[in-house]
Amino acid sequence: MADTGFLPKENLPALLEALSKKFAVFAPVLDGEVVLFKRFAPGATLCLTRPANLPPKGIIFPQSETLFNFNFKKDPEDPKKTSLELKENLDFVPTIIFGSRPCDAQGFRIYDRVYLETDTADPYYKGRREKTTIITLACNAPSPGCFCTSVGRGPAESDGSDLMMTELGKGYFFEPMTEKGKEIFKDSLFEDGSAYKEQAQKAHERVSALVKKPFAILEGTPEKLLSLFENSQFWEGETAKCISCGACTYLCPTCYCFNITDEQVGNSGERIRSWDACMFFHFTLEASSHNPRQNKHQRLKNRVGHKFSYYPKKYQGVIACCGCGRCIRYCPMSVDISEIVAHAQGA
Amino acid sequence: MSSIHNPYLPEIGTVIKIIDETPNIKSFQVVLNNPEKMKNFTFEPGQVGQLSLFGVGESTFVINSPPTRMDYLQFSVMKAGEVTSALHELAEGDQIGVRAPLGNWFPYAQMKGKQILFIGGGIGLAPLRTLILFMLDQRADYGDITIIYGARTPNDLCYKDELKEWEERSDVNMILTVDNEFPGWDKRVGLVPNVLKEVAPSPENTVAITCGPPIMIKFTLQALSELKFKDDQIITTLEKRMKCGIGICGRCNIGTMYVCKDGPVFSLTQLNELPAEL
Amino acid sequence: MFIEKLKEAVRKILPEVDVVIGYRQGFDPLHATPYFLDKPEQVDQLIWNPLCVQNLCSYIPFLKGKVGVIVKGCDSRAIVQYMQEKLITRENIKVIGVPCLRVISVKKVMAAINQQTVQEVTFEGDNIIVKIPEGPKTIPSADVAPRKCATCQLATPLQYDVLAGEAIQSNKPQDTFEETKEFEKLSLEERRAYWEKEFDRCIRCYACRNACPMCICQDKCIAESRDPHWTSQRANVTEKAMFHMIHGLHLAGRCISCEECERVCPMDIPVAKIKKKISMDLKELFGYEAGMNPDDTPPMYTFKVEEATIEEHEI
Repeated sequence: MADTGFLPKENLPALLEALSKKFAVFAPVLDGEVVLFKRFAPGATLCLTRPANLPPKGIIFPQSETLFNFNFKKDPEDPKKTSLELKENLDFVPTIIFGSRPCDAQGFRIYDRVYLETDTADPYYKGRREKTTIITLACNAPSPGCFCTSVGRGPAESDGSDLMMTELGKGYFFEPMTEKGKEIFKDSLFEDGSAYKEQAQKAHERVSALVKKPFAILEGTPEKLLSLFENSQFWEGETAKCISCGACTYLCPTCYCFNITDEQVGNSGERIRSWDACMFFHFTLEASSHNPRQNKHQRLKNRVGHKFSYYPKKYQGVIACCGCGRCIRYCPMSVDISEIVAHAQGA
Repeated sequence: MSSIHNPYLPEIGTVIKIIDETPNIKSFQVVLNNPEKMKNFTFEPGQVGQLSLFGVGESTFVINSPPTRMDYLQFSVMKAGEVTSALHELAEGDQIGVRAPLGNWFPYAQMKGKQILFIGGGIGLAPLRTLILFMLDQRADYGDITIIYGARTPNDLCYKDELKEWEERSDVNMILTVDNEFPGWDKRVGLVPNVLKEVAPSPENTVAITCGPPIMIKFTLQALSELKFKDDQIITTLEKRMKCGIGICGRCNIGTMYVCKDGPVFSLTQLNELPAEL
Repeated sequence: MFIEKLKEAVRKILPEVDVVIGYRQGFDPLHATPYFLDKPEQVDQLIWNPLCVQNLCSYIPFLKGKVGVIVKGCDSRAIVQYMQEKLITRENIKVIGVPCLRVISVKKVMAAINQQTVQEVTFEGDNIIVKIPEGPKTIPSADVAPRKCATCQLATPLQYDVLAGEAIQSNKPQDTFEETKEFEKLSLEERRAYWEKEFDRCIRCYACRNACPMCICQDKCIAESRDPHWTSQRANVTEKAMFHMIHGLHLAGRCISCEECERVCPMDIPVAKIKKKISMDLKELFGYEAGMNPDDTPPMYTFKVEEATIEEHEI
């Protein structure tokens, strides 16, 4: 079998249909003006011309999920006595994320260090992650606000992806990156791709050069941000226009914070895990009403700090930002995290 | 149940005894329903647990009974928010969820042979209680033990029976204080940091362990510094809003450290290296 | 040049206030971004063009001290509504009014250029010219204006302390709520299906709430509260709809129709439609429009045993 493959564009639906027989396939689909990852169904309007508005993180880390169900059972002998039953569900289906962008796929790598590479791995994330194969489309143009090359990544970066694809004229060049990727690659629809390898490489270099560079280097940035921690004037200035909503965090492929809440009706209920955001006042509000981050500048400082200081300090210098630009592109007030980092570097 | 360890899934326990400590603090003695799990349960002094009331939620409390006394796990709860208010409604025999132990612990091995100074305020005595009882159970390993403990009024002092016991012990120097004069109170009056300065314990070969409301901690640290305690001689245990308890959900961080997993116990030296975000 | 007049007005006001809120260029030529300035040398960064869309009044209730703010006609209704609800001390606000006949929706431009990267933007007559990688594209401004501009009656702000430029008259027809009335002709099932599809995209980021000048509960919002516990954190359509309906109802007689909620939605949900329907009902029932007169009392703040326009059911 060849190391690389080529798939004519007209065969793409056939590939997705074939994969749908074995996997739950999620692909970027047009919904009005918005591109969202949805369960692929024949006839869906695929949109591969731009990154999805929402990264595919919800496929592995759903916006809300049941951690377990609980059930109070009355003792038939003694109704005053109740027993409790907890039920977890850790069965997950084989899944494919098709058409993620390199930044989207790398988002999961940022998650992995926190959710998997720990002595208390998260079984829900782990279960879905292990059963998911990620097929990533290299970008053929930058999107408004994106800056992946400045955070040590790029429009064709393969880290986090199982199978890479590059659009080349009449078709897609495919290159498997992992064993999982090779499994997919076995499909007979693929032609030999070796003739296209060089062309793909050139396309990657061309796009890479087009990506904007808000800062040249990141060396020393984690320390610099820490040194600015108590400079509230700096942070108040940078965050004055922020309205402290959760758009940036919920659209971010690397933001992984969550909330846990209980819901109950009658004798049964569930414990829910749901996305949460450090931009919200409640996130750190204590029962005593003390809040270590009661002002919005403290909250946005945490968001910037987490991505560009705390995480890299904890994980061998890796920046917890993929430069996808969504937080900039869709911010109601056009707050620009790359600008804040650049200002911090120069402060 | 699957064989994968699920850190979010609580063990079910039974509240075997509830003690009214103060008008707004109750202690709950809990035994895990699975006898095998209860028998094999191990933890270190200072570690915390998440108590679950299903349908209401979870909240973090220190295990304030010591690992040397494993008949039950005790948690003290001050009524403040949704979960703590619901916990206060519990009756003996009620079922409760427990995720424990979580977090780090007091570095007691390094305290052996040293004088120990405990400084607590209000419910802040809870984590200190674990270590005090742990040390008293192995009394010979440690030097002088001094406990300075205060609350707003005599009614707000926790663990009153034990306070009395410790006062009576010749191998414990027990100093109690309340914020203001109170009818029938014949002991010290004054804020904990001020009493600490009056007592003026020597920093020589001493470890100070403190826990209490943030404002007390702030002035206690100042007082200890005035008494020439070095930062690495001062240990405290922190509180934050927590959810997962395993360093993932992201809300209890101070810079790179997660209070739920990397803490709650920190030396002042460690705290000084972190951003000021208490 | 108008921008010079605006800068002049800001320079004059700057010594009297702690901060002035205006606009500067954002991350690309299509995006303006709010600019908080307190030094004269910052004034030159100010911009003004139809892409200056954000309602800057939304910041005012949360700011201390004296604030100068650049305000369009539509935005000025927020100032009026704040005065009604005593959310601001009017003397502490210096309103720099700007005449405006139309702004441009960034989302509509992005849709028109198929979401490509914008290299340059210029305005010529009633057109916006957007340069994208394949070349310049000329779009009539009216085609990419937000819904609210089509029936705007406030070309000149209702409230201002200084007006940059000359007062102008609106050249638009009155709002007759045609779109809302058309929508109401649909069956209940059809409307329900429409909103379920739209709300399904909601990610509960609360951008609509936080950008709303009249959403003043903010950190105490029922969307996140456990006491009262009216919503759960489940990401299902029921919970999302619940939040949006409460958002709408809390704005009955208070919504000033700036449509910031819809502009900021990253999922492109037409949430202003809900508020528009409520505004229509308020106008029909009480002959009332929010944010028009500082001395008004919103109808939901008053109670009359007999409302002139409401027919009571016989008990």
